[in-house]
Amino acid sequence: MVNPTKLYQLLDQSAQKYADNVALFFQEESISYSQLKKKSEKLQLQLSDINIGEGDRIAIYSHKSIDFVIAQFAILKSEAAYLPIDANAPIERNSYIINNCEVKALIIHKSFYESFKQNFTLVSELENDLLFLKSNKETLIKSPPDLAYILYTSGSTGKPKGVMYSHKAALEFINWSSATFAPTNNDCFSSHAPFHFDLSIFDLFVSIKHGAKLILIDDQTAKQPLLLAQLISEQKISIWYSTPTILNMLATYGKLQKYNYETLRLVLFAGEVFPINQFLNLKHYWKKPTYYNLYGPTETNVCTHYKIPDEVKSLIAFPIGKCCEHYKSKILPSGELLIGGNGIMLDYWQSEEKNSNPLSKDEHNTVWYKTGDLVEIDSANNFIFKGRIDRMVKRNGFRIELLEIEQALHQHPEIIENAVIATTDEENATIITAFVCCKSVDWESVIKMKEYCSKNLPVYMIPNNFIFIKSLPQTASNKIDYQQLKQLI
Amino acid sequence: MKKNINEIKNSIKSFIAESFLKNSPINDLTDSTLLISGGIMDSISTMQLVSFLEKEFNFEFQAHEVDRDNLDSIAVIANFVSSKING
Repeated sequence: MVNPTKLYQLLDQSAQKYADNVALFFQEESISYSQLKKKSEKLQLQLSDINIGEGDRIAIYSHKSIDFVIAQFAILKSEAAYLPIDANAPIERNSYIINNCEVKALIIHKSFYESFKQNFTLVSELENDLLFLKSNKETLIKSPPDLAYILYTSGSTGKPKGVMYSHKAALEFINWSSATFAPTNNDCFSSHAPFHFDLSIFDLFVSIKHGAKLILIDDQTAKQPLLLAQLISEQKISIWYSTPTILNMLATYGKLQKYNYETLRLVLFAGEVFPINQFLNLKHYWKKPTYYNLYGPTETNVCTHYKIPDEVKSLIAFPIGKCCEHYKSKILPSGELLIGGNGIMLDYWQSEEKNSNPLSKDEHNTVWYKTGDLVEIDSANNFIFKGRIDRMVKRNGFRIELLEIEQALHQHPEIIENAVIATTDEENATIITAFVCCKSVDWESVIKMKEYCSKNLPVYMIPNNFIFIKSLPQTASNKIDYQQLKQLI
Repeated sequence: MKKNINEIKNSIKSFIAESFLKNSPINDLTDSTLLISGGIMDSISTMQLVSFLEKEFNFEFQAHEVDRDNLDSIAVIANFVSSKING
């Protein structure tokens, strides 16, 4: 067979080779490779009725489901790019993203339709309460060539920003994954991460490429360790990929001793540091699998990897490992890690951050991305993660620009000024603290603040603590003195 | 021994105040304050609460019972706990 150059060809090839194998399983329902191909082609025809094609972007705004995947492949097949929306995030944030991305159409669950009635027209009703809407906007910006998907992540300007990925770059990572983890059509993959999170690229496309079975995990089960522990065992998952936070929750609260995990052979984790004591706690229950620590920002997907040795001797955090074979790396004198190669994002979507663009090209035409992560090299030539050059933090694997939280609080009519800082607790978990100056003491309530945040920010961005103060300390140059705030905790 | 619903509520309330509402007056934490929907508890703090309830009231949650429907306010939790331990 030819080497695929487009992501939908992975499905085409598997539908030919493994037609009757189960491709996806979700809440008692399953779909075979041939059905998945057929259904996505049927939806693709509907997309082509309104001339969706190369250069267009289509948002999918729904909870995880088999239909979500059908839509992803239908969009890819029509040569347009898909934009997955976090159905659990506040609708205002999602509207901003959909607007900012200038989508030509929207595949949306009925329950979210109301907010989009004004700017979109209903084209048709799809199966399972999904609606197909088209934008009322006449002229839309064209995407760069080969664009496959756009993932929005927290932006340093305080607004979410879109990371654009091409088919070519995504396939670089998928092919590296094939070579490194050698999956087969007998494997059963987990799809734990939501589709707007870059971990989902591995789950979806690597499993489809190999004709394996993919277990889609709904949002509620995904964060509930007791149900998750049961599901991994019952579905006989063999390849698991998630953030360390979830693995730690499974080991701490999942009652893993109740179940059998014979089939689990590979456990991958990424997105944040996995404290060794928590890892050992998990390994106590899951002795058999091979474990990998994967590292990479959304802009590169996985770019370094570290296979955890059978015996973990030291309590020092795991290295992030060595550069993946499809990438090159270098370290600036400041300690910042640069990653170069064909797996890197195309660019940010219409970004205001162009001035400080972290992409550059060298004399050999290699594209380099400045990660903003500080690293060192250990005696075995592995990279060790040392921190950030800026105010971006990771919490439960999600990336958060603290300015985005500050700007959301700033919109509150009773808040005069605020500042947000991140620290780590004794378990190495990220703790976000907001310092808030309110107009009246009536608003100095943690409960009221959290309630406000839950309506205006994704759950993972809600500060853990609020500290109410009369005014924010300032440096000599009249900027907020974040160092002094850290001492107030 | 049967537990009175108010005792159950008080014990849940002090756990939530101590664990998730540090440095804060708890006057506005009422029986109906939304805990999960209101952003006070995330998935990890929800599991901390579940562990606390299992130990404190000596019963075990079934996997499907760890759900927003049983845990979104002090009143709802107390009713659930009471139905588990008082039958």
